[in-house]
Amino acid sequence: MQEKWLLTGLSVALLLLGTCSALYEDQIKKFDWRGVNVGALKQSRVDLNHFQPRILVSTHEGVVASLCVKTGELVWRQVLEQKPRGDIKLLQVSGFSDDSSDTAAAPMGSNLGFDMLTVQGHAPALVRGWNTNMGALEWEWSMMPLNTERAQEALWFYSRSVLYHVLPAWRSHLEVTAYFASSGHSTGSTSKLMASWISPESCSLSGTFYVCVDGKQLISLDLVSKSGQVIRTSLEAEPKGSLKAMAGLNGVVIVDGNLISVNKDQSVCPGLQASSYTVGSFNYRKILAYSDLAFGIVKINAVYLDNCEPVTEIEQSLPFPAHFGSPELSNFDCKQKRNGEGKSCLFLFSTSSESIVAVQQGRIRWSREEALANVIDSQFVDLPLADTEGTLESEMKGKAGDFTSFERDIVSAFLRRITTQAVQIRSLFLHVIGLGPPPTDTQRAGLVRDSFGLHKMLVLLTRAGKIFGIDNISGKHHWQLYLPNVSGFDNDEQMRLIVQRSAKHFPLQPLCTILGKDAVNGNGVLYRFNPITGKAAEGGLIQLDYKIKQLSLLGETEKDFVKGILLLDSSNKVHVYPQHATPLADGMYLYTADVRTAELAGYFVKYAGGKLSSTHVWNARLGGHNSEQQIIGVSGKNPIEHVHSQGRVLGDRSVLYKYINPNLVAFVTQAPDATHKSVLNLYLVDVVSGSVVFTITHRKVRAPLALSIQKTGLPTPISMRKCDAQRLVTTIELYEGKTQANNSVWSSLQAPPMPLVERQSYILPTIVETLRETITERGITNKHVLIGTASGSIVEMPWHLLDPRRPIASTTQGREEGAIPYIPELPLPTESHINYNQTVARLRNIYTAPSGLESTCLVVATGLDLFVTRVAPSKTFDLLKEDFDYILISIVLVALTSGSLIVKHLASRKLLKQAWK
Amino acid sequence: MSAKQNSKKFKWALDFNVSKNADIPSPLGYNPSALVNQSEVVRDQRLVIKKSWDLALGPLKNIPMNLFIMYMSGNSISIFPIMMVGMMLIRPIKAIFTTQVTSKMAEGAQGTGQRIVYFLGNLANVALALYKCHSMGLLPTHASDWLAFVQPQTRLEYYGGGVSFV
Repeated sequence: MQEKWLLTGLSVALLLLGTCSALYEDQIKKFDWRGVNVGALKQSRVDLNHFQPRILVSTHEGVVASLCVKTGELVWRQVLEQKPRGDIKLLQVSGFSDDSSDTAAAPMGSNLGFDMLTVQGHAPALVRGWNTNMGALEWEWSMMPLNTERAQEALWFYSRSVLYHVLPAWRSHLEVTAYFASSGHSTGSTSKLMASWISPESCSLSGTFYVCVDGKQLISLDLVSKSGQVIRTSLEAEPKGSLKAMAGLNGVVIVDGNLISVNKDQSVCPGLQASSYTVGSFNYRKILAYSDLAFGIVKINAVYLDNCEPVTEIEQSLPFPAHFGSPELSNFDCKQKRNGEGKSCLFLFSTSSESIVAVQQGRIRWSREEALANVIDSQFVDLPLADTEGTLESEMKGKAGDFTSFERDIVSAFLRRITTQAVQIRSLFLHVIGLGPPPTDTQRAGLVRDSFGLHKMLVLLTRAGKIFGIDNISGKHHWQLYLPNVSGFDNDEQMRLIVQRSAKHFPLQPLCTILGKDAVNGNGVLYRFNPITGKAAEGGLIQLDYKIKQLSLLGETEKDFVKGILLLDSSNKVHVYPQHATPLADGMYLYTADVRTAELAGYFVKYAGGKLSSTHVWNARLGGHNSEQQIIGVSGKNPIEHVHSQGRVLGDRSVLYKYINPNLVAFVTQAPDATHKSVLNLYLVDVVSGSVVFTITHRKVRAPLALSIQKTGLPTPISMRKCDAQRLVTTIELYEGKTQANNSVWSSLQAPPMPLVERQSYILPTIVETLRETITERGITNKHVLIGTASGSIVEMPWHLLDPRRPIASTTQGREEGAIPYIPELPLPTESHINYNQTVARLRNIYTAPSGLESTCLVVATGLDLFVTRVAPSKTFDLLKEDFDYILISIVLVALTSGSLIVKHLASRKLLKQAWK
Repeated sequence: MSAKQNSKKFKWALDFNVSKNADIPSPLGYNPSALVNQSEVVRDQRLVIKKSWDLALGPLKNIPMNLFIMYMSGNSISIFPIMMVGMMLIRPIKAIFTTQVTSKMAEGAQGTGQRIVYFLGNLANVALALYKCHSMGLLPTHASDWLAFVQPQTRLEYYGGGVSFV
């Protein structure tokens, strides 16, 4: 018995040894890079007069950070908890609110004061004090509201060392509680201020004033004053937009670009009109800076707050690139020692494309692309060929269909070959003497395909509607595009990024398309662009006159190699874009899934007589008997995946054929349950015929869920079990049996027999955020599963550890199959963390793409950070090692060859001499 | 030539090289007709046949030895069993191709029979080697051995879709 265990242990250890593919120390950052982001700006504070100039920011992603003034790089960053717990409600830097309420820095050794204070979340609300020099958390207190649901709308403000918690009860009253900011002690009881005029959409908190719009007047209330008097201010016209508080000026709000004060003690300059305002100091005087964007030029102006005279030293205007979108002035500061000149002021803008832009001396000093904190889709696009290779490529492609003129073809091919090489020699010669044609923009940027296909353009689509073209090796941003007024679809479905034409069709340029929804009228929007240059192509933005319900990619057209897009609109009509690809849509199947009712519908598309029509062919309800189930996950197979092996070899050397149904889609539904708390169902549905191939039910299991389905019939759902906090990985494999029903074609309509199902569950010692299988060009390389964990690491798990055929009892059959005995716990060795210490904060998704090498798979992990690397699941069997010693090998080769020649000569001489004896 | 010169120069010299009279009678008891013994010839012939049968039956006699070697080397795939199986396979095949040469050494009345037996014996050895290959799993006789050449099925239907956008 002991021996058996020993054997098992040994075999597992050996297997793990075999799979370890850790990096060497000198390979760190050689194949990978990481982009670190903070997210879209919420509040900021530029401080140039601190002994250590810095920019303190809080973001919509729940991050507080300090940026370097000169470069915009991160000095430190603290990623707070996930939303809603980490949602930052207030960032208060000491000495910022207004002069009188300054707390001053805390005395040494005490923990009463603070550099910076944040309030986050609502139930509980956490108040934290930070050391701004190194980003360390110094103290923290929390507050649990009585009514957690209402607390979501709570507001916080800070005044004179006291933190106020304002809880509105709509159309009734305001509850205001004051706490000592650094200790959390309540200063007294909660005061209820009667205010029946408050409503959710029309109110705002400006400093200590709670201001609401009511028709043509503003109603406001000073929450700190003892009197509790309601102030009414009349407006010239009914405001069109919503109210915005003016940070830094107590009781001032921005209404349609105008400043209006509801505070008697705070006057504002009349007649100002701008899109954004901010308050700062210049020459020891308080000034109000404001900015506007007009015709691509940003103008920055400022007035002194006390006498409303313009500050001419600060006025500047600069061209603003369109890909930033519209800017909003967030904060600014001026160096005090250089009195009189406005050149030392730094203005910080947040833009509608979620960038952070720093402007100094009339030009953009630096910018941060924070849209990358929310990547929603990614594609690796092949780079174009160099010109000379391009002509070779077109020669190889030479039309070979015409057999009658075969001989002439040979002659012409030969001639073409000769001319190509002549051209190559000429271009080489011209290049050497420096007279060659100037390289194109892409070539100058080094964007030429390499021989292994490892160098690609990484196209990233972000939630803000900004698209990036990034070099996957250097991480350089080659181009950016911004699509204003385009948003994601309903049901939390994001915009789609589709490659319509790859770079394989030289001299045609590759073509990408973005599908989204018009933010205004909800109709579909198509944007077509060249993924190498980032320029609009073939019409650019196209507004459709219908809402998109679903889409599908068609095959390539013969004319221009564009893959058509089949669109299903909300009235179940079908359209194809571009038009000339319409015949390819004939015989397509489409399905749609309703998330809330868990209903599936299948459609058949027919093209006849020049008209495209769709027929509703099947329906499936996954809602359960009481329609409580809701779809929480859908996963189809990757269409570009190749299956190299059609079956699995068993211990007795027979073949178990895989159930390779390309039309299989996995749906996961979840519903609350009285006895089991939560029930999760997995359905494998053939979406062509609508038949449910397999169902599995997990009890006491709930989301979050990561689902991945592979073409080999291996879906791998991951679910988190609530009751004992275990993370469950369930793997399922489908097999057709020992014989194949039809070994030449697969048709879902021919009703293949129900597959054999192998399944197994494993426990992972970590929380799984996302799952993705590696993919390679031909599918010969082993499959590994990339597991993205909540702690931000990416673990490469060999498939044979997740194999559902791992035998429970150590049998000879299992051993001969190469399966390791079943152990429920999966190991996570540190060598298999492919991002070693480069943690990806808030890891959300992993995308994989094949490279030109069969062994290598390109990986990009997105979240708050971006991590790009490559993995080789079966090691780089088709590549020489990095440290391959070319010199030694060539020396040995030359020495051996010359040695053998010399020895041959000597031997023949000796033979001759012997013969003469 | 020198001898002739010698004979001319020295008249009195005796030439021993010149053969003596060939008509000298045979010694007593010498019977030239008794030189070939008929029974001896018959016995030699029998010996040749026996020897060539030995040769022809050689491969068959090897079989028990081969069986023993096969049993001893086991079914694991490593260098020595592979070498043995290779030798076992190649030797009889070589022998079959050189049957003509081998049989020339022992031509006789039963030549055809011997050749057939020799051939069959070698075939038996080849069969034995193949059986060994089979039991070692070296022969592509299972479906799994041809799995790499199975073409993927072509799909007839294509689908698209997902969660509804509206």
